[in-house]
Amino acid sequence: MPPRLSGSLIQLPFSLGAVNPQYILPATNSIRTFGIRSLNPPKPSRFNVSPNLPVLKSTPTAALERKAATLPLRTGVIAIKKGMSAIFDPETGKRIPCTVLQLDRVQVVAHKTRDVHGYYAVQVGSGWKHPKNVTKALLGHYSGQGVSPKRHVYEFRVKDESGLVPVGKLLNANWFQEGQYVDARSNSKGKGFAGVMKRHGFGGQDRSHGVSLTHRSLGSAGPSQGGGSRVYPGKKMAGNMGNEQNTVQNLKVLKVDVENGLVLVNGSVSGPRGCVIRIQDAIKKPWPTFAETTEATETST
Amino acid sequence: MNRQQGEQPVLISLPPAMATSSQFTRQLGCIRPLMKPQLFIQPQISRRSITSAFTPKPEPVPFPTTIPEQFLSQIPDRFRPHAPKKLKIYPPPPSAHAKCKDPIATVTESQLAVLDPTGERRALFDYRRSARSVKVGDILRVTFKNGDPFSGVCLSIKLRGIDTSFLLRNELTRVGVEMSVKAFSPNVESVEIVKRTEKRKRRARLYYMRKPKHDMRSVENIVSNYLRQKSALTGQRSANRKKR
Amino acid sequence: MIQLKTMLNCIDNSGAAVVECVNVLKKKRPATVGDRIVVVVQKQRNFGADSTGNSGIANKVRRGDIRHAVVVRARKEMQRPDGSLVKFDDNACVLVNKSGDPIGTRMNGVVATELRGRQWSKILSLAPMHV
Repeated sequence: MPPRLSGSLIQLPFSLGAVNPQYILPATNSIRTFGIRSLNPPKPSRFNVSPNLPVLKSTPTAALERKAATLPLRTGVIAIKKGMSAIFDPETGKRIPCTVLQLDRVQVVAHKTRDVHGYYAVQVGSGWKHPKNVTKALLGHYSGQGVSPKRHVYEFRVKDESGLVPVGKLLNANWFQEGQYVDARSNSKGKGFAGVMKRHGFGGQDRSHGVSLTHRSLGSAGPSQGGGSRVYPGKKMAGNMGNEQNTVQNLKVLKVDVENGLVLVNGSVSGPRGCVIRIQDAIKKPWPTFAETTEATETST
Repeated sequence: MNRQQGEQPVLISLPPAMATSSQFTRQLGCIRPLMKPQLFIQPQISRRSITSAFTPKPEPVPFPTTIPEQFLSQIPDRFRPHAPKKLKIYPPPPSAHAKCKDPIATVTESQLAVLDPTGERRALFDYRRSARSVKVGDILRVTFKNGDPFSGVCLSIKLRGIDTSFLLRNELTRVGVEMSVKAFSPNVESVEIVKRTEKRKRRARLYYMRKPKHDMRSVENIVSNYLRQKSALTGQRSANRKKR
Repeated sequence: MIQLKTMLNCIDNSGAAVVECVNVLKKKRPATVGDRIVVVVQKQRNFGADSTGNSGIANKVRRGDIRHAVVVRARKEMQRPDGSLVKFDDNACVLVNKSGDPIGTRMNGVVATELRGRQWSKILSLAPMHV
């Protein structure tokens, strides 16, 4: 063993000294001038390789193209649910129940761009947080962008860079116009650890007929042999109910009060009073036409 | 072996297996009692010296102003000559929340300004504040925009801001009918008090009046009497209304 | 809230006094004012003496007949567009034939105005009073 090792070691510097291997290696790979050569010339790939193939569907570009139809053109805002009320229409005499949402110091905090992050989005913050309660890293983020520390920060995806509102712009209630439709996204009221009857609407079991102590429980969690003697994933069982995100689509904006930052939307919105609601243009309705959006951005900058 | 000999005064016992060394210990065993007190006294002296000796507090040495570059990484940030700049914290913009603490009340007020500009209707039902308001047990007559009147005894008044409503009960063609009317609905043209209750009711909600024992039955006679009196007083206008 | 087994008053002069709901048509929920239901006549209106006087009317339906009917009063309160609620102290209906015309010629008793919105204006015009 030792002599062979030393021999290889001697050979290495010798060859290095003669010619630079890094330079010569690619050349030797393409045209082999030594050893056994193949008689058959290399065949073209039998798989589908050609320059005119369509773009693959699993690329980021394709993903953005697919989403283009359902991504809103404009950013949304963060609002606080203040409670419910009603609006009477003096002409028709109709009573329309509404939810009162308040926009408090909603500002654009940052952008997410295709080049850097892979998608377009607007980071929006609302409220105010005392700087002493904000971590140094976040504080640096806020002061770098020139906005005050925010209580709530959320991202709203937009279709392209035209939807990127300049950083630091205040989004007032007139971001929405009366009569347009919005989607409201929020966490529903938490119900705690709930049983299957409340959580999934199971029927429960008999009051009597020999049933003891299991009147509100689920029956069987699955078959024995057919189910592979296991419980399938996703089996409906008792657990935490509520406090999960819910989107209420196509809510009509009934009224907008810029001074008090109020937006009144038709009907109800998930969550308790004081919860954070994200509202954005409804994706299932035609995008609202806004003449003032461009003006507003110009004035702010 | 030599090393072991030197250590002997300290070692108290040695393993009996080492026969040669045990002989040495036996020879030196007489020294041990002499050594022990000395060992005992010595720490006492040193301890006393610690307690009694006065050492002045060291003067705080001023931090050297000029430190070579290569040592800067060893000292805390705040002592370095060029500490990191303080972040500029921007003040928050004016708050809408501070301006409008109770948005529900704001919305209600703006609605009432349109639906009840004089505040008359509000005073009519705010039984907590205005003494002349409607009380439960009163007989009311409501006229709607489309012309149909409805009269009945007031069973309850719900004060809920813009959704304030009152519940009327009457008997029409020997069938009990109840109607809950929103006080500020634009469909309600007028609300009149036909007859006040004789005695103040001791309940806020007179749901017991649905029971046959307490049911007031039809109030149509009282209402028609009132309308006749009213038409006699005011003349033409009310007579027209009566016809409807 | 009229569903299977609900007993209703019949307030027309078709001859039925009390009917029982056996089916609610065109909806999966309990019926309310203006809904069409299928009923069984459980009690006839004084068929003894009156039947001789106006036999043509009293004999229109008999006990055990299965007929269509329209609910005109409901004990469950219903909401109007302006937020007001109306409720009656009983459940009542009017018998109709297959084409939707009332079997009786007269009605006694108040009915709800909601019938107008449900294409039952004929019944509404027959009623002496509506709320």
